Amino acid sequence: MNSLVTARGVSKRFGKIHAVDNVSFDIGKGRIMGLIGPNGAGKTTLLKALLGLTDCEGDLSVLGLNPFRQRKELMRNICFIADVAVLPRWIRVSQLLDFVESTHPNFSREKAEALLGNTKVNTRRDARVRELSKGMVTQLHLAIIAAIDARLLVLDEPTLGLDIIFRKEFYANLLSDYFDEERTILVTTHQVEEIENILTDIMFINEGRIILDASMESLGEDYVELLAAGEKADQARSIGPIAERDVFGKKIMLFEKPDRARLEALGELHTPSVADLFVAKVKGVAA
Amino acid sequence: MIGQQLALIKREIWEHRSIYVTPIAIAVIVSLVSLAGMVTVSAFDTEVNMALFGASNIVGDAERRAALTVFFLGTSWVFLFALAILTTFYTLDCLYAERKDKSILFWRSLPITDAETVVSKLLTAIIVLPIVTVAAIIVTHLVNLVITTVWVMVKGGNAAHLIWGSVPLFDNWAAALIVTVASAVWMSPLIGWFLFVSAFTKRSPLLMAFMPLIIIPIIEWIFFRSKLFASAVFGRGEMIPLFLDMDFERFFDEERMKVNEELVSLLAHIDIGKFLLSPSVWAGIVVCGLFATAAIYVRRYRDES
Repeated sequence: MNSLVTARGVSKRFGKIHAVDNVSFDIGKGRIMGLIGPNGAGKTTLLKALLGLTDCEGDLSVLGLNPFRQRKELMRNICFIADVAVLPRWIRVSQLLDFVESTHPNFSREKAEALLGNTKVNTRRDARVRELSKGMVTQLHLAIIAAIDARLLVLDEPTLGLDIIFRKEFYANLLSDYFDEERTILVTTHQVEEIENILTDIMFINEGRIILDASMESLGEDYVELLAAGEKADQARSIGPIAERDVFGKKIMLFEKPDRARLEALGELHTPSVADLFVAKVKGVAA
Repeated sequence: MIGQQLALIKREIWEHRSIYVTPIAIAVIVSLVSLAGMVTVSAFDTEVNMALFGASNIVGDAERRAALTVFFLGTSWVFLFALAILTTFYTLDCLYAERKDKSILFWRSLPITDAETVVSKLLTAIIVLPIVTVAAIIVTHLVNLVITTVWVMVKGGNAAHLIWGSVPLFDNWAAALIVTVASAVWMSPLIGWFLFVSAFTKRSPLLMAFMPLIIIPIIEWIFFRSKLFASAVFGRGEMIPLFLDMDFERFFDEERMKVNEELVSLLAHIDIGKFLLSPSVWAGIVVCGLFATAAIYVRRYRDES
């Protein structure tokens, strides 16, 4: 695999707490990887290690560089949006573009201007960031990021606090303006439903450990949801589902590496949503 | 490299508008005060005889130059005092505000090292702030000279001779620039300390910066009965090794009531060589460098979540 990110035995401890605990994974070129985990699972710490914002144990290589030691070089080819709040609130839109233009060798002012031309920010070049709405700040940030010719884009809860229209637009723009087969995106979010259709790969993290690392195609093969009732539900339970929940008097059971032929006889089969799979996996680990 | 530093310094000026707003405000106030002064003088003293001032046997060129220089110095000190306060607040804020509003995450997403960022803030404090202040001093001087010229002309005096003919402008301005930048370099240990506090403190940088400066002398006094720390920190401002010793008897001849012409120049009182060769200056620069390095490390290694 043409790997952009390689992690082998990566750990990060804060005192006795393992925020990231012996994690290994690869992220290939041209993929959109979703990193999903509950609060405090170690997502942000892992991202920080990838971005060279924090030191860690183990072998971690991003674009062939050691992120902590070679941060400046890395930042030429990585972009990240940590949260909508991070654009400095005092800066004017035009100043921000000037600044990035003069400090980032891979930034294209023309492209940023073209991308902003389609947004509400276009007529507010002299406005300060604090005078813009949250949605506009995100549009501005995304336009800047998309105008940087970077190989890896890291998004940490990029749409937090945005309304549904902006969130949809954000991901649509992300795909149209930023993504191509040369670029890779790593995204974390709580709103899994909104991004599961754009992801190519998914990784679940809980208590510092990776509990699932799979491509989206393989998820449909490896996991199945069964809708069953009564006696058939009892039979299905004996096969060993990893999770079970009630819906309108029926049972929904989630199976890993299922024997499809056997399950089909017991009820309706569906591909589970990422959110349901996530809940099942996290609870399964906790139990 | 240089282009990037310029962009970083420009950013500091965008963010901290007080860098230029404060000197402009003081320039306006000083000019208004001197204007008000002239108006007041004119109202009470209608009999000012300009011919008297112009008569060189009473007040010669050297004396007029000295008088104007004293007037200039008076206004320049106001600016220097404001610069000290401005520098304190700027250096305490510049690495603190970016953490408080979390914009540090954005700045660190760009290919700029922590060292480059901290250096840009140090250069802003030691070079840019003094230069902006000197520019404001120059503008204030010119505005005041124009006001004085108008006043002298209204009184029937020859302003070209009385004011512009004898005003030692460039001598004054060159001296202002040297004194201002040298003062910033001289006080750089404090500037470094403020940057470091600004980088590490979780709250109220002003308090965190001055608390040790007050507590350490007290502890030193209690245990050692000495005042070394206090005099090194608070007395440093007065000890700047930049000026030649002033011999007042040589400067002003009391018998002849004349000012020694050679010594009217401000530059004649400044010894740059003495400043550059002073071990205290270099010791101060080293201390500043150590604090700035510490600030870089804090910015780099601290986890901001």
